[in-house]
Amino acid sequence: MTEPILSRNFNVPNAWKISVAEGRGAYETAKKVLTSSKPEEVVQAVTASNLRGLGGAGFPTGKKWSFLPKNNPKPVYLVINADEGEPGTCKDRYILEKDPHQMIEGILISAFAINSHKVYIYIRGEYVRPFENLQAAVDEAYAKGYLGQSVFGTGYAVDIVVHRGAGAYICGEETALLNSLEGGRGLPRLKPPFPAIVGLFGCPTIINNVETIACVPHILKNGAEWFANLGIPGCGGTHLFSISGHVEKPGVYELPMGILLGEIIQKHAGGVWKGRKLKAVIPGGISAKILTAAEVDVKMDYDSLKNAGTMLGSAGIMVMDETTCMVKMLFYATKFFAHESCGQCSPCREGTGWAHKIVTRIISGHGKPGDLDELLRIARNMERRTICVFADAAAWPILSYIGKFRAEFEEYIAKKEAVISNEVRDLRF
Amino acid sequence: MGLANLDNEAQKIVAKYEEKRASVLPLLHLAQDKIGYVTPEAMEWTAKWSEVPVVHVREVVTFYSMYHQKPVGRHHIRFCMGTSCVLRGCETQLAYLKKKLNIQDGETTPDAKFSLEEAECLCNCEAAPMMQVDKDYHVDLTEKKIDQILGGLK
Repeated sequence: MTEPILSRNFNVPNAWKISVAEGRGAYETAKKVLTSSKPEEVVQAVTASNLRGLGGAGFPTGKKWSFLPKNNPKPVYLVINADEGEPGTCKDRYILEKDPHQMIEGILISAFAINSHKVYIYIRGEYVRPFENLQAAVDEAYAKGYLGQSVFGTGYAVDIVVHRGAGAYICGEETALLNSLEGGRGLPRLKPPFPAIVGLFGCPTIINNVETIACVPHILKNGAEWFANLGIPGCGGTHLFSISGHVEKPGVYELPMGILLGEIIQKHAGGVWKGRKLKAVIPGGISAKILTAAEVDVKMDYDSLKNAGTMLGSAGIMVMDETTCMVKMLFYATKFFAHESCGQCSPCREGTGWAHKIVTRIISGHGKPGDLDELLRIARNMERRTICVFADAAAWPILSYIGKFRAEFEEYIAKKEAVISNEVRDLRF
Repeated sequence: MGLANLDNEAQKIVAKYEEKRASVLPLLHLAQDKIGYVTPEAMEWTAKWSEVPVVHVREVVTFYSMYHQKPVGRHHIRFCMGTSCVLRGCETQLAYLKKKLNIQDGETTPDAKFSLEEAECLCNCEAAPMMQVDKDYHVDLTEKKIDQILGGLK
């Protein structure tokens, strides 16, 4: 990759201010598109660019937009999913805090493409400082006439409301997000109907991730073919990879789709820290199945990782060195899912809590011989049995950590010692 | 409790949405920012403005982790316990912080200065371990840095 695209302003001081952003070319493409293009042309370009949803699901963006009903009398809503919460992921925060105008420009073009005049940005509640920068950016865009009743004087109206969440991982699931945005608990909805048909306030709604929308101005500026060629067949563009854990240089790196996982770790993140050996890698946020050190020779894109039995997810890479205790990592993973289950479906509500109790028992040094098989059984009974994929995500760490490191778990249970002391953790079970 | 002073702001919030019920979360944020936690009066006030039953507001308050139903410290600490933070050794620093403040998860110091919450991933994984104090994220934590951050607060 020659030049950064999405991250080009991350190191520019005050790029969240409109004067600085405009000095770097912000809003030029949106102005051009809204004054001289047709909405269909934008949809065509986004479809041809092979842009896929970068929030985790990887669904083709142009195709998602095409699901909106034709000749629909109701308002169409565009909702931006800025509820970043997948453990190991920190990329959207960079756009929201450092370069919000890039995303607002993407919103203008996308809203124009899908004939939407009202946009909601749902940002996670804990992101207070990113919210402040984003709201300031929206206010500045209004003051300039880039938002409001007549965007760039074209007569096309776009309003943006920035809506803060209140601390619930599940609200990153798009239908839970809609329920939360409507003022309720974040419980995922049964699909169908999909949000494109029945979404926010019962109206057709497109929900796109922050980074996905930030790609749109670049596609319209440089062309669909250019964007498609940055990536691999069927998946265009670059991606912001978050890499954390046991590496020398953790960070957010913009790299082409399809780059080798091993290359990200070695070349960009400086390798495993302290000269230690690699033990395992989670390639796409806590929900993705773990890869062993022998499995890191894999391309980082939706299809390659699916073929490797895991997923790209949110591209939150977490690296574990040879000293990592897998029992402990499973303890924290099950704790997370037990805490964040919305409680709507029984297999998930009961399964996540039950699994965490068993792992807590194991880590306290009281594991029983049948515990691992019991955990696997609970996990399999959560998979594909609920309204949303949260339960699947909760099952995958259990299935993959035990599946790939079973001997370590067995040894731990046989030893009957606790790696986490009671001083640190409250280990009631 | 001063909620009447917020009526102007409440009106502006409600007007942003096509349906009034969508204002429940922002109204609760507003009330909590003012009072420090969500009181029963704040729930009734939110219900009135968003035109939903109080029980619905209560449902919302109990669902989301950021709404406090009892007073917290003047400075609320969310200590990240996400996978990346655990990998970078946050357990040791959490133990240090608990010892320093002499409180556990969910508790407040007797002088009401600090409260502590063990949080799920706050998504600053690239600079783990980290914690949030009030609005701000503090990253690359060390014991010395924790001392400095807490020492600088009134």
